Amino acid sequence: MSTRLKKSILMIPVLIYTAFSAGPFLWTATMSLRTTDEIYKSHYGLPIPAHWGKFYTAWTEFGYSTYFRNSAIVAGTAVLIITLVGAMAGYGFARKRFAFRFREGLFLMLFLSVMFPPQIMILSLFQILIKYGLFNTLTGLILVYVATELPITIYLLRAFFAQIPQELEEAARIDGCTDWSMFWRVMFPMARPAVATTFILNFIYFWNEFLYAVIFITKQSIRTLPLAIQFLVSDQYQDIGMLATGLMIASLPVLILYLFLSDWFVKGMTAGAVKG
Amino acid sequence: MDANTLRGSDALPTPFVGAEIRTPRPRRPWGSIAMFLGPALCFYFAFIIYPVLVTFYNSFHILRQDLGLTYQFVGLQHFIEILTSDEVFWRAARNSLTWAVVAPCIDMPLALTLAFLLHAKLPLAKFFRTVWFTPLLMSYPVVGVIWLWVYNYDWGMANLVLRAIGLGSYAEAWLANPTTALPALILVTTWMFTGFHMVILLTAIHTIPQEYIEAAWVDGAGPWSRAFRIIIPLLRPTIVNLIILDFIGKMKQFALVWVMTRGGPMRGTETVATYVIKRAFEWKTLDLGYPSAIAVIWFVIIFGLSFGLTRFLQRKEALEF
Repeated sequence: MSTRLKKSILMIPVLIYTAFSAGPFLWTATMSLRTTDEIYKSHYGLPIPAHWGKFYTAWTEFGYSTYFRNSAIVAGTAVLIITLVGAMAGYGFARKRFAFRFREGLFLMLFLSVMFPPQIMILSLFQILIKYGLFNTLTGLILVYVATELPITIYLLRAFFAQIPQELEEAARIDGCTDWSMFWRVMFPMARPAVATTFILNFIYFWNEFLYAVIFITKQSIRTLPLAIQFLVSDQYQDIGMLATGLMIASLPVLILYLFLSDWFVKGMTAGAVKG
Repeated sequence: MDANTLRGSDALPTPFVGAEIRTPRPRRPWGSIAMFLGPALCFYFAFIIYPVLVTFYNSFHILRQDLGLTYQFVGLQHFIEILTSDEVFWRAARNSLTWAVVAPCIDMPLALTLAFLLHAKLPLAKFFRTVWFTPLLMSYPVVGVIWLWVYNYDWGMANLVLRAIGLGSYAEAWLANPTTALPALILVTTWMFTGFHMVILLTAIHTIPQEYIEAAWVDGAGPWSRAFRIIIPLLRPTIVNLIILDFIGKMKQFALVWVMTRGGPMRGTETVATYVIKRAFEWKTLDLGYPSAIAVIWFVIIFGLSFGLTRFLQRKEALEF
């Protein structure tokens, strides 16, 4: 059998899986540009003419501008905090200079909590957030998000900082670096690839997070996008066209970035699994 | 080398010993340690460790939300009730376990097959990889709504495909039937995660030294025996890792169920995670203690099974060598 023929046979399952993988999303994308009336006449028509105005309508009349802003605030703030706090802790856990008696034990505990099911924390977090006036606030949600992703972030960044040779640290110290300036001027800039990886991993997680949001946010005005979609499904079940547009608004920021940075995204999303 | 020779080598020429003494032993930089680890540990203890402890404490109490969260100690009562007479819990536990066991059994072989296909140097491999990975980047509510449409009886894609290939009689209201609803949801997680597993397996295949595969090829091993005798055994640590991750992930499954079926029909898709949330916030009991006890039980089961599974899969690996 010629190689070409062999490869064409191998292409068949690949194409079938690709249809399965891309089909549902492409279908939704066509619906996002069609009106609900058009969709009910034929569910699989092409978006001709394309109603781009639906995105404007969803944005202004269905509250997506608010939900988008809430998601951006939560994901943006949380990812900034976790990157700084996580990198500092990753450095502190990695270097011999900062070793102390219970450090490895602490790190093991941190590592094991990657496995914790959220249910073991969520009910008491609910109670705690209420007690401190953080229930139903974006601040409360941000604090919880940072805490839940810290273990994996520290774990990944520690692995990177541990590889940096001791000599480099000693050389910088002879040049008069304190621990603080050494971290920000030498170590953090060196760790940029690893930091970018955790940045992407965490941003996507925060942008898409649903469980904590659905328990800790009950006010409509501070709903994040995943939360808003859950409510819109039940409120406007009939209005498929508008809902499809909303789904695209919720997914496009991540998907467009993915188009340009797909290697980084794949690296970021798989980082936890490869090393874990 | 025994202890004495080791100690003997410590007897260094005098100048070295002198240098050793003159340098003061570095004191632990507690200020810097606190600066680097402090913020993270504050977050960790305040929002993870403390809540976990509170949940354990709550599980021995009745904690009524309508009575200002006042505590009433009940000892092991919740645990006894859950394990002996709570049928919903057992149903939910069975569903969660089914999901956690079945999903890796579908995801892994499929992901491996796809990884092998792309490894065969097909054209457009990068394009396929990019497409297959995409579902993972969407949130569960987005995925849930898309698949609610896919499973629609009248115009959904699932029935459309069945009717197109002449299996129209098998068309089904997939999410309304208690026997098909859970398999239908499991297929959605397969759709989401297979690309992710494929990428990790493909990366692992690329790190296998080419000589191993070439040596097998020279020895006359066909593609099948190359795959099963050389590549898969070498991938074993990665596969074990992914199975355990997949298993734990499915034991925690909440969001997809919440958006698509809310545990229905007839509790056919209830998972432990959705049951905990329902018991806490939707049932009229308004008690946070009972669902905390469920969470504690499930926490212990997840840890126990994950460790058991890890040891079991790794032992098999050790036996093969």
